[in-house]
Amino acid sequence: MRSIYEFFEQDSRTAAIARITLSVLCVLLLWQVVSVFVANRLLLVPPADVAAALVTETQRGAMWTNAVATVTAVGTSFLVSVALGISIGFALASSRALSLTAGPVLSALNSVPIIALAPLFIAWLGLGFASKFVLVLMVAVFPVVVTTEAGLRATDRQLIEAARSFDATSMQIFTTVTFPYALPFIVSGIRVSWARALVGIVVAEFFGSFAGFGFAILSASQTFDTARVLGYVIVLGAMGLFGSVLFEALERRLAPWKHE
Amino acid sequence: MSVELLRVDNLDKTFTRRGKPAVEALRGIGLSIKEGEFVSIVGASGSGKSTLLRIIDGLLTPSAGTVYVDGKLVTRPGRDRAMVFQQDSLLPWKTVIENVAYGLTLARMPWAKAQPIAQRFVDLAGLTSFESHYPHQLSGGMRQRVNVARALAVDPKILLLDEPFASLDAQTREIMQTELLSIWQASRKTVLLITHQIDEAVFLSDTVIVFSARPGTVRAKIPIPISRPRSLEVKRQPAFMAIVDQIWNMIEGEVRTSLKLNP
Repeated sequence: MRSIYEFFEQDSRTAAIARITLSVLCVLLLWQVVSVFVANRLLLVPPADVAAALVTETQRGAMWTNAVATVTAVGTSFLVSVALGISIGFALASSRALSLTAGPVLSALNSVPIIALAPLFIAWLGLGFASKFVLVLMVAVFPVVVTTEAGLRATDRQLIEAARSFDATSMQIFTTVTFPYALPFIVSGIRVSWARALVGIVVAEFFGSFAGFGFAILSASQTFDTARVLGYVIVLGAMGLFGSVLFEALERRLAPWKHE
Repeated sequence: MSVELLRVDNLDKTFTRRGKPAVEALRGIGLSIKEGEFVSIVGASGSGKSTLLRIIDGLLTPSAGTVYVDGKLVTRPGRDRAMVFQQDSLLPWKTVIENVAYGLTLARMPWAKAQPIAQRFVDLAGLTSFESHYPHQLSGGMRQRVNVARALAVDPKILLLDEPFASLDAQTREIMQTELLSIWQASRKTVLLITHQIDEAVFLSDTVIVFSARPGTVRAKIPIPISRPRSLEVKRQPAFMAIVDQIWNMIEGEVRTSLKLNP
Protein backbone atom coordinates (compact mmCIF):
# COMPACT_ATOMS: atom_id res chain seq x y z
CA MET A 1 0.00 0.00 0.00
CA ARG A 2 2.77 2.34 1.00
CA SER A 3 4.75 1.63 -2.14
CA ILE A 4 1.68 2.38 -4.31
CA TYR A 5 1.31 5.69 -2.50
CA GLU A 6 4.96 6.49 -3.08
CA PHE A 7 4.64 5.54 -6.74
CA PHE A 8 1.77 8.04 -7.15
CA GLU A 9 3.93 10.77 -5.66
CA GLN A 10 6.68 10.14 -8.17
CA ASP A 11 7.76 12.64 -10.76
CA SER A 12 7.95 10.18 -13.68
CA ARG A 13 5.87 10.00 -16.84
CA THR A 14 4.47 6.55 -15.95
CA ALA A 15 3.33 7.88 -12.59
CA ALA A 16 1.70 10.88 -14.27
CA ILE A 17 -0.19 8.63 -16.70
CA ALA A 18 -1.21 6.37 -13.81
CA ARG A 19 -2.51 9.35 -11.85
CA ILE A 20 -4.61 10.63 -14.76
CA THR A 21 -5.95 7.12 -15.46
CA LEU A 22 -6.88 6.61 -11.82
CA SER A 23 -8.71 9.91 -11.50
CA VAL A 24 -10.63 9.30 -14.77
CA LEU A 25 -11.58 5.80 -13.59
CA CYS A 26 -12.83 7.22 -10.29
CA VAL A 27 -15.04 9.73 -12.08
CA LEU A 28 -16.40 7.01 -14.40
CA LEU A 29 -17.13 4.75 -11.44
CA LEU A 30 -18.91 7.49 -9.49
CA TRP A 31 -20.87 8.41 -12.62
CA GLN A 32 -21.87 4.79 -13.16
CA VAL A 33 -23.06 4.43 -9.56
CA VAL A 34 -25.06 7.67 -9.65
CA SER A 35 -26.65 6.78 -12.98
CA VAL A 36 -27.93 3.52 -11.47
CA PHE A 37 -29.91 5.54 -8.93
CA VAL A 38 -31.03 8.28 -11.31
CA ALA A 39 -33.60 6.51 -13.46
CA ASN A 40 -34.56 9.50 -15.61
CA ARG A 41 -32.40 9.24 -18.75
CA LEU A 42 -33.09 12.88 -19.60
CA LEU A 43 -31.17 13.90 -16.50
CA LEU A 44 -28.30 11.44 -16.59
CA VAL A 45 -27.14 8.59 -18.79
CA PRO A 46 -24.52 5.98 -17.87
CA PRO A 47 -20.97 6.23 -19.34
CA ALA A 48 -21.62 3.38 -21.80
CA ASP A 49 -24.47 5.33 -23.47
CA VAL A 50 -22.22 8.35 -23.84
CA ALA A 51 -19.51 6.20 -25.41
CA ALA A 52 -22.10 4.81 -27.82
CA ALA A 53 -23.24 8.34 -28.69
CA LEU A 54 -19.64 9.34 -29.38
CA VAL A 55 -19.24 6.36 -31.72
CA THR A 56 -22.44 7.24 -33.58
CA GLU A 57 -21.35 10.87 -33.95
CA THR A 58 -18.02 9.77 -35.35
CA GLN A 59 -19.65 7.35 -37.80
CA ARG A 60 -22.11 10.03 -38.97
CA GLY A 61 -19.17 12.32 -39.63
CA ALA A 62 -20.65 14.99 -37.36
CA MET A 63 -17.75 14.66 -34.94
CA TRP A 64 -15.26 15.47 -37.66
CA THR A 65 -17.21 18.45 -39.01
CA ASN A 66 -17.61 19.90 -35.52
CA ALA A 67 -14.00 19.21 -34.59
CA VAL A 68 -12.71 20.99 -37.70
CA ALA A 69 -14.89 24.02 -37.00
CA THR A 70 -13.96 24.27 -33.33
CA VAL A 71 -10.28 23.41 -33.59
CA THR A 72 -9.66 25.83 -36.47
CA ALA A 73 -11.37 28.67 -34.67
CA VAL A 74 -9.91 28.02 -31.25
CA GLY A 75 -6.46 27.16 -32.63
CA THR A 76 -6.15 30.34 -34.68
CA SER A 77 -7.42 32.67 -32.02
CA PHE A 78 -5.41 30.92 -29.31
CA LEU A 79 -2.18 31.33 -31.27
CA VAL A 80 -2.99 34.97 -32.00
CA SER A 81 -3.85 35.49 -28.30
CA VAL A 82 -0.49 34.10 -27.26
CA ALA A 83 1.45 36.23 -29.76
CA LEU A 84 -0.52 39.34 -28.92
CA GLY A 85 -0.39 38.65 -25.16
CA ILE A 86 3.39 38.27 -25.20
CA SER A 87 3.78 41.47 -27.24
CA ILE A 88 1.55 43.47 -24.92
CA GLY A 89 3.33 41.97 -21.90
CA PHE A 90 6.71 43.01 -23.39
CA ALA A 91 5.46 46.53 -23.99
CA LEU A 92 4.11 46.82 -20.45
CA ALA A 93 7.29 45.44 -18.90
CA SER A 94 9.52 47.78 -20.88
CA SER A 95 7.70 50.97 -19.98
CA ARG A 96 6.67 51.77 -16.45
CA ALA A 97 4.56 54.71 -17.61
CA LEU A 98 2.66 52.51 -20.06
CA SER A 99 2.18 49.81 -17.45
CA LEU A 100 0.78 52.28 -14.92
CA THR A 101 -1.46 53.93 -17.52
CA ALA A 102 -2.81 50.83 -19.23
CA GLY A 103 -2.81 48.63 -16.13
CA PRO A 104 -6.16 49.70 -14.62
CA VAL A 105 -8.00 49.35 -17.95
CA LEU A 106 -6.46 45.92 -18.54
CA SER A 107 -7.36 44.63 -15.09
CA ALA A 108 -10.89 46.02 -15.49
CA LEU A 109 -11.22 44.22 -18.83
CA ASN A 110 -9.77 41.09 -17.27
CA SER A 111 -12.39 40.98 -14.54
CA VAL A 112 -15.37 41.87 -16.77
CA PRO A 113 -17.28 38.70 -17.74
CA ILE A 114 -16.49 39.08 -21.42
CA ILE A 115 -18.35 35.83 -22.03
CA ALA A 116 -21.54 37.70 -21.17
CA LEU A 117 -20.88 40.03 -24.09
CA ALA A 118 -20.96 37.17 -26.60
CA PRO A 119 -24.37 38.15 -28.08
CA LEU A 120 -23.05 41.67 -28.56
CA PHE A 121 -19.97 40.46 -30.43
CA ILE A 122 -22.19 38.39 -32.70
CA ALA A 123 -24.38 41.43 -33.35
CA TRP A 124 -21.25 43.40 -34.31
CA LEU A 125 -19.35 40.81 -36.27
CA GLY A 126 -22.07 38.45 -37.49
CA LEU A 127 -22.32 34.70 -37.27
CA GLY A 128 -19.18 32.76 -38.11
CA PHE A 129 -15.47 32.94 -37.72
CA ALA A 130 -14.93 36.63 -36.90
CA SER A 131 -17.14 36.70 -33.80
CA LYS A 132 -15.71 33.43 -32.48
CA PHE A 133 -12.18 34.68 -33.10
CA VAL A 134 -12.65 37.96 -31.28
CA LEU A 135 -14.49 36.44 -28.33
CA VAL A 136 -11.81 33.80 -27.74
CA LEU A 137 -9.11 36.42 -28.16
CA MET A 138 -10.75 38.64 -25.55
CA VAL A 139 -10.83 35.91 -22.92
CA ALA A 140 -7.54 34.18 -23.74
CA VAL A 141 -5.18 37.13 -24.13
CA PHE A 142 -5.15 38.41 -20.55
CA PRO A 143 -3.44 35.52 -18.73
CA VAL A 144 -0.55 35.75 -21.19
CA VAL A 145 -0.28 39.54 -20.85
CA VAL A 146 -0.22 39.35 -17.05
CA THR A 147 2.30 36.52 -16.75
CA THR A 148 4.59 37.91 -19.45
CA GLU A 149 4.81 41.26 -17.73
CA ALA A 150 5.19 39.67 -14.29
CA GLY A 151 7.85 37.24 -15.56
CA LEU A 152 9.91 39.95 -17.23
CA ARG A 153 9.71 42.11 -14.12
CA ALA A 154 10.50 39.24 -11.75
CA THR A 155 14.02 38.68 -13.06
CA ASP A 156 16.58 38.35 -10.31
CA ARG A 157 18.44 41.68 -9.97
CA GLN A 158 21.57 39.72 -9.12
CA LEU A 159 21.56 37.98 -12.52
CA ILE A 160 21.17 41.28 -14.36
CA GLU A 161 23.98 42.82 -12.32
CA ALA A 162 26.25 39.88 -13.14
CA ALA A 163 25.51 40.26 -16.85
CA ARG A 164 26.18 44.00 -16.64
CA SER A 165 29.42 43.27 -14.84
CA PHE A 166 30.48 41.22 -17.87
CA ASP A 167 29.77 44.29 -19.98
CA ALA A 168 26.63 42.83 -21.58
CA THR A 169 24.61 45.09 -23.88
CA SER A 170 20.96 45.65 -22.98
CA MET A 171 19.99 43.37 -25.88
CA GLN A 172 22.26 40.64 -24.46
CA ILE A 173 20.77 41.11 -21.00
CA PHE A 174 17.34 40.61 -22.54
CA THR A 175 18.21 37.51 -24.57
CA THR A 176 20.44 35.79 -22.00
CA VAL A 177 18.79 36.77 -18.71
CA THR A 178 15.40 38.49 -18.74
CA PHE A 179 13.70 36.46 -21.47
CA PRO A 180 14.84 32.96 -20.37
CA TYR A 181 13.84 33.90 -16.83
CA ALA A 182 10.37 34.99 -17.96
CA LEU A 183 9.76 32.04 -20.27
CA PRO A 184 8.35 29.56 -17.71
CA PHE A 185 6.06 32.32 -16.37
CA ILE A 186 4.83 32.97 -19.92
CA VAL A 187 4.15 29.27 -20.49
CA SER A 188 2.10 29.06 -17.29
CA GLY A 189 0.05 31.97 -18.61
CA ILE A 190 -0.38 30.15 -21.92
CA ARG A 191 -1.68 27.11 -20.02
CA VAL A 192 -4.39 29.17 -18.31
CA SER A 193 -5.10 30.88 -21.60
CA TRP A 194 -5.77 27.55 -23.37
CA ALA A 195 -8.39 26.57 -20.77
CA ARG A 196 -10.07 29.95 -21.13
CA ALA A 197 -9.97 29.75 -24.92
CA LEU A 198 -11.92 26.46 -24.79
CA VAL A 199 -14.62 28.02 -22.64
CA GLY A 200 -14.66 31.03 -24.95
CA ILE A 201 -15.10 28.99 -28.12
CA VAL A 202 -17.99 26.94 -26.72
CA VAL A 203 -19.86 30.05 -25.61
CA ALA A 204 -19.21 31.72 -28.96
CA GLU A 205 -20.56 28.67 -30.75
CA PHE A 206 -23.63 28.59 -28.50
CA PHE A 207 -24.69 31.99 -29.70
CA GLY A 208 -23.64 32.15 -33.25
CA SER A 209 -22.64 29.24 -35.39
CA PHE A 210 -23.81 26.26 -37.39
CA ALA A 211 -20.95 23.90 -36.60
CA GLY A 212 -18.55 23.17 -33.77
CA PHE A 213 -18.68 21.47 -30.41
CA GLY A 214 -20.58 24.33 -28.77
CA PHE A 215 -23.20 24.25 -31.55
CA ALA A 216 -23.45 20.44 -31.21
CA ILE A 217 -23.91 20.64 -27.44
CA LEU A 218 -26.60 23.28 -27.81
CA SER A 219 -28.53 21.38 -30.50
CA ALA A 220 -28.26 18.08 -28.60
CA SER A 221 -29.54 19.66 -25.41
CA GLN A 222 -32.48 21.19 -27.30
CA THR A 223 -33.53 17.68 -28.33
CA PHE A 224 -32.84 16.38 -24.80
CA ASP A 225 -30.12 14.06 -26.15
CA THR A 226 -28.17 13.95 -22.89
CA ALA A 227 -25.76 11.27 -24.13
CA ARG A 228 -24.60 13.50 -27.01
CA VAL A 229 -24.31 16.56 -24.76
CA LEU A 230 -22.08 14.71 -22.34
CA GLY A 231 -20.12 13.10 -25.16
CA TYR A 232 -19.10 16.48 -26.60
CA VAL A 233 -18.38 17.84 -23.15
CA ILE A 234 -16.00 14.94 -22.60
CA VAL A 235 -14.23 15.66 -25.89
CA LEU A 236 -13.74 19.27 -24.77
CA GLY A 237 -12.49 18.06 -21.41
CA ALA A 238 -9.96 15.86 -23.16
CA MET A 239 -8.74 18.84 -25.22
CA GLY A 240 -8.35 20.84 -22.03
CA LEU A 241 -6.46 18.05 -20.31
CA PHE A 242 -4.19 17.57 -23.33
CA GLY A 243 -3.26 21.26 -23.38
CA SER A 244 -2.71 21.37 -19.66
CA VAL A 245 -0.42 18.34 -19.64
CA LEU A 246 1.49 19.61 -22.67
CA PHE A 247 2.12 23.10 -21.31
CA GLU A 248 2.96 21.81 -17.86
CA ALA A 249 5.59 19.53 -19.38
CA LEU A 250 6.95 22.46 -21.37
CA GLU A 251 7.10 24.60 -18.23
CA ARG A 252 9.07 21.91 -16.41
CA ARG A 253 11.42 21.53 -19.31
CA LEU A 254 12.10 25.24 -19.43
CA ALA A 255 12.55 25.65 -15.68
CA PRO A 256 13.77 22.38 -14.18
CA TRP A 257 15.34 24.28 -11.26
CA LYS A 258 11.90 25.29 -10.00
CA HIS A 259 10.76 21.71 -9.59
CA GLU A 260 13.55 20.11 -7.60
CA MET B 1 55.64 42.71 -9.61
CA SER B 2 55.59 46.23 -8.35
CA VAL B 3 53.48 47.71 -11.14
CA GLU B 4 50.43 49.53 -9.83
CA LEU B 5 47.29 47.91 -11.21
CA LEU B 6 44.44 49.60 -9.37
CA ARG B 7 44.41 53.15 -8.16
CA VAL B 8 41.52 54.87 -6.39
CA ASP B 9 41.85 58.58 -5.61
CA ASN B 10 39.69 60.85 -3.42
CA LEU B 11 36.61 58.85 -4.14
CA ASP B 12 33.25 59.95 -2.70
CA LYS B 13 29.87 58.35 -3.17
CA THR B 14 26.62 59.86 -1.96
CA PHE B 15 23.30 58.22 -2.75
CA THR B 16 20.55 60.73 -3.39
CA ARG B 17 16.98 59.66 -3.80
CA ARG B 18 14.09 62.00 -4.20
CA GLY B 19 12.12 62.50 -1.00
CA LYS B 20 14.78 60.82 1.12
CA PRO B 21 17.81 62.25 2.89
CA ALA B 22 21.08 61.78 1.00
CA VAL B 23 23.26 58.94 2.29
CA GLU B 24 27.00 59.44 2.24
CA ALA B 25 28.40 55.95 1.62
CA LEU B 26 32.07 56.67 0.92
CA ARG B 27 34.31 59.64 1.65
CA GLY B 28 37.79 60.38 0.39
CA ILE B 29 38.74 56.81 -0.44
CA GLY B 30 42.28 56.35 -1.73
CA LEU B 31 43.95 53.05 -2.33
CA SER B 32 46.48 51.42 -4.57
CA ILE B 33 46.94 47.74 -5.42
CA LYS B 34 50.00 46.32 -7.10
CA GLU B 35 49.85 43.69 -9.81
CA GLY B 36 49.54 40.18 -8.38
CA GLU B 37 48.63 41.46 -4.93
CA PHE B 38 45.81 40.03 -2.81
CA VAL B 39 44.07 42.84 -0.91
CA SER B 40 41.01 42.61 1.33
CA ILE B 41 38.72 45.27 2.69
CA VAL B 42 37.03 44.62 6.02
CA GLY B 43 34.60 46.83 7.86
CA ALA B 44 31.35 46.89 9.77
CA SER B 45 28.16 46.78 7.79
CA GLY B 46 27.40 50.22 6.42
CA SER B 47 31.03 50.94 5.67
CA GLY B 48 30.27 51.11 1.93
CA LYS B 49 32.71 48.35 1.00
CA SER B 50 30.31 46.71 -1.47
CA THR B 51 29.58 50.12 -2.97
CA LEU B 52 33.29 50.69 -3.53
CA LEU B 53 33.62 47.33 -5.26
CA ARG B 54 30.70 48.14 -7.55
CA ILE B 55 32.27 51.48 -8.43
CA ILE B 56 35.56 49.77 -9.27
CA ASP B 57 33.66 47.24 -11.40
CA GLY B 58 31.89 50.11 -13.16
CA LEU B 59 28.38 49.13 -12.07
CA LEU B 60 28.05 52.37 -10.11
CA THR B 61 29.54 55.78 -10.81
CA PRO B 62 31.32 57.73 -8.08
CA SER B 63 30.08 61.14 -6.95
CA ALA B 64 33.66 62.39 -7.01
CA GLY B 65 37.13 60.95 -7.48
CA THR B 66 38.65 58.50 -9.91
CA VAL B 67 39.35 54.81 -10.39
CA TYR B 68 42.17 53.70 -12.67
CA VAL B 69 42.76 50.07 -13.64
CA ASP B 70 46.08 49.47 -15.40
CA GLY B 71 46.31 53.19 -16.15
CA LYS B 72 42.84 53.43 -17.71
CA LEU B 73 40.04 55.49 -16.16
CA VAL B 74 37.05 53.33 -15.19
CA THR B 75 33.70 54.70 -16.35
CA ARG B 76 31.75 51.49 -17.00
CA PRO B 77 32.09 47.70 -16.70
CA GLY B 78 34.93 46.27 -18.74
CA ARG B 79 36.69 43.04 -19.49
CA ASP B 80 39.75 44.02 -17.46
CA ARG B 81 37.70 43.48 -14.28
CA ALA B 82 35.54 40.55 -13.22
CA MET B 83 33.30 40.30 -10.22
CA VAL B 84 32.36 37.33 -8.06
CA PHE B 85 29.07 38.06 -6.34
CA GLN B 86 27.97 37.19 -2.83
CA GLN B 87 24.95 35.10 -3.71
CA ASP B 88 24.41 32.82 -6.61
CA SER B 89 24.41 34.81 -9.73
CA LEU B 90 24.60 31.78 -11.99
CA LEU B 91 22.05 31.36 -14.75
CA PRO B 92 19.84 28.48 -13.58
CA TRP B 93 19.02 27.35 -17.14
CA LYS B 94 22.67 27.00 -18.14
CA THR B 95 24.99 24.12 -17.29
CA VAL B 96 28.19 24.56 -15.30
CA ILE B 97 30.36 24.88 -18.40
CA GLU B 98 27.92 27.24 -20.11
CA ASN B 99 27.90 29.39 -16.98
CA VAL B 100 31.69 29.44 -16.82
CA ALA B 101 31.77 30.43 -20.51
CA TYR B 102 29.10 33.12 -20.02
CA GLY B 103 31.47 36.08 -20.00
CA LEU B 104 33.22 34.74 -23.09
CA THR B 105 29.98 34.23 -25.04
CA LEU B 106 28.85 37.74 -24.08
CA ALA B 107 32.10 38.93 -25.67
CA ARG B 108 30.85 37.09 -28.80
CA MET B 109 33.53 34.41 -28.68
CA PRO B 110 32.44 31.39 -30.75
CA TRP B 111 31.61 28.29 -28.67
CA ALA B 112 34.39 26.24 -30.29
CA LYS B 113 36.87 28.72 -28.84
CA ALA B 114 35.10 29.44 -25.57
CA GLN B 115 34.49 25.81 -24.63
CA PRO B 116 38.14 24.74 -24.12
CA ILE B 117 38.87 27.91 -22.13
CA ALA B 118 35.85 27.32 -19.93
CA GLN B 119 36.87 23.68 -19.51
CA ARG B 120 40.28 24.78 -18.26
CA PHE B 121 38.71 26.89 -15.51
CA VAL B 122 36.14 24.20 -14.69
CA ASP B 123 39.11 21.91 -14.07
CA LEU B 124 41.01 24.57 -12.13
CA ALA B 125 38.01 25.08 -9.85
CA GLY B 126 37.85 21.34 -9.20
CA LEU B 127 34.56 20.89 -11.05
CA THR B 128 35.72 18.29 -13.57
CA SER B 129 32.89 15.85 -14.44
CA PHE B 130 30.26 18.36 -13.30
CA GLU B 131 30.34 20.28 -16.61
CA SER B 132 26.81 19.38 -17.65
CA HIS B 133 25.20 19.75 -14.24
CA TYR B 134 22.82 22.61 -13.61
CA PRO B 135 23.45 25.01 -10.70
CA HIS B 136 20.49 23.68 -8.68
CA GLN B 137 22.13 20.25 -8.70
CA LEU B 138 25.26 21.59 -6.97
CA SER B 139 26.03 22.44 -3.35
CA GLY B 140 26.47 26.06 -2.30
CA GLY B 141 30.25 25.68 -2.20
CA MET B 142 30.37 24.23 -5.71
CA ARG B 143 28.16 27.00 -7.05
CA GLN B 144 30.57 29.58 -5.67
CA ARG B 145 33.45 27.73 -7.36
CA VAL B 146 31.56 28.04 -10.65
CA ASN B 147 31.17 31.73 -9.88
CA VAL B 148 34.92 32.13 -9.35
CA ALA B 149 35.70 30.09 -12.48
CA ARG B 150 33.32 32.23 -14.54
CA ALA B 151 35.08 35.40 -13.42
CA LEU B 152 38.56 33.96 -14.09
CA ALA B 153 37.58 32.63 -17.53
CA VAL B 154 37.38 36.11 -19.04
CA ASP B 155 41.02 36.59 -18.04
CA PRO B 156 40.54 39.86 -16.14
CA LYS B 157 43.45 41.90 -14.84
CA ILE B 158 41.77 42.15 -11.46
CA LEU B 159 39.32 39.86 -9.71
CA LEU B 160 36.74 41.57 -7.50
CA LEU B 161 35.15 39.37 -4.85
CA ASP B 162 32.08 40.60 -2.98
CA GLU B 163 31.82 38.50 0.20
CA PRO B 164 31.99 35.39 -1.97
CA PHE B 165 31.72 32.89 0.89
CA ALA B 166 29.22 34.73 3.09
CA SER B 167 26.35 32.39 2.26
CA LEU B 168 28.35 29.22 2.97
CA ASP B 169 28.54 27.31 6.23
CA ALA B 170 31.67 27.75 8.37
CA GLN B 171 33.42 24.50 7.37
CA THR B 172 32.79 24.93 3.65
CA ARG B 173 34.00 28.51 3.93
CA GLU B 174 37.35 27.41 5.41
CA ILE B 175 37.87 24.91 2.59
CA MET B 176 36.88 27.47 -0.03
CA GLN B 177 39.41 29.93 1.40
CA THR B 178 42.26 27.49 0.88
CA GLU B 179 40.94 26.67 -2.59
CA LEU B 180 40.78 30.34 -3.47
CA LEU B 181 44.39 30.68 -2.31
CA SER B 182 45.56 27.85 -4.52
CA ILE B 183 43.59 29.16 -7.50
CA TRP B 184 45.11 32.59 -6.89
CA GLN B 185 48.60 31.09 -6.67
CA ALA B 186 48.00 29.21 -9.95
CA SER B 187 46.58 32.20 -11.83
CA ARG B 188 48.58 35.02 -10.21
CA LYS B 189 45.66 37.43 -10.58
CA THR B 190 45.37 40.65 -8.69
CA VAL B 191 42.53 40.23 -6.20
CA LEU B 192 40.40 42.67 -4.25
CA LEU B 193 38.19 40.90 -1.71
CA ILE B 194 35.40 42.40 0.36
CA THR B 195 34.51 40.51 3.51
CA HIS B 196 33.17 40.97 7.00
CA GLN B 197 35.20 37.96 8.22
CA ILE B 198 38.40 39.35 9.68
CA ASP B 199 40.15 35.97 9.86
CA GLU B 200 39.29 35.33 6.21
CA ALA B 201 40.82 38.65 5.18
CA VAL B 202 44.00 38.10 7.19
CA PHE B 203 44.37 34.50 6.05
CA LEU B 204 44.10 35.33 2.35
CA SER B 205 45.66 38.75 1.94
CA ASP B 206 48.95 40.55 1.49
CA THR B 207 47.30 43.71 2.79
CA VAL B 208 44.08 44.22 4.75
CA ILE B 209 42.37 47.58 4.47
CA VAL B 210 40.14 48.44 7.41
CA PHE B 211 37.13 50.64 6.70
CA SER B 212 35.27 52.74 9.20
CA ALA B 213 31.54 53.19 8.76
CA ARG B 214 29.04 55.94 7.93
CA PRO B 215 30.55 57.24 5.76
CA GLY B 216 33.05 54.61 4.70
CA THR B 217 36.61 55.83 4.96
CA VAL B 218 39.97 54.07 4.95
CA ARG B 219 40.93 53.66 8.57
CA ALA B 220 44.09 51.58 8.32
CA LYS B 221 46.15 49.58 5.86
CA ILE B 222 47.67 46.57 7.52
CA PRO B 223 50.34 44.50 5.76
CA ILE B 224 50.14 40.78 6.58
CA PRO B 225 53.69 39.49 7.02
CA ILE B 226 52.75 35.80 7.13
CA SER B 227 54.75 33.75 4.65
CA ARG B 228 53.16 31.86 1.76
CA PRO B 229 52.00 29.31 0.85
CA ARG B 230 49.59 29.37 3.79
CA SER B 231 47.57 26.46 5.08
CA LEU B 232 44.68 26.50 7.56
CA GLU B 233 47.16 25.90 10.43
CA VAL B 234 48.23 29.52 9.98
CA LYS B 235 44.99 30.49 11.65
CA ARG B 236 46.23 29.00 14.93
CA GLN B 237 49.53 30.88 14.97
CA PRO B 238 49.89 33.65 17.61
CA ALA B 239 51.06 36.13 14.96
CA PHE B 240 47.89 35.49 12.96
CA MET B 241 45.65 35.85 15.98
CA ALA B 242 47.39 39.06 17.04
CA ILE B 243 46.60 40.69 13.69
CA VAL B 244 42.98 39.51 13.81
CA ASP B 245 42.66 40.98 17.31
CA GLN B 246 44.21 44.25 16.24
CA ILE B 247 41.69 44.64 13.38
CA TRP B 248 38.78 43.52 15.52
CA ASN B 249 39.62 46.19 18.10
CA MET B 250 39.48 48.80 15.36
CA ILE B 251 36.01 47.93 14.16
CA GLU B 252 34.38 46.58 17.31
CA GLY B 253 33.02 49.97 18.32
CA GLU B 254 31.41 50.44 14.92
CA VAL B 255 29.88 47.00 14.90
CA ARG B 256 28.29 47.86 18.25
CA THR B 257 27.02 51.19 16.92
CA SER B 258 25.56 49.53 13.84
CA LEU B 259 23.77 47.04 16.07
CA LYS B 260 22.09 49.97 17.76
CA LEU B 261 21.28 51.61 14.43
CA ASN B 262 19.70 48.48 12.98
CA PRO B 263 17.91 46.84 15.89
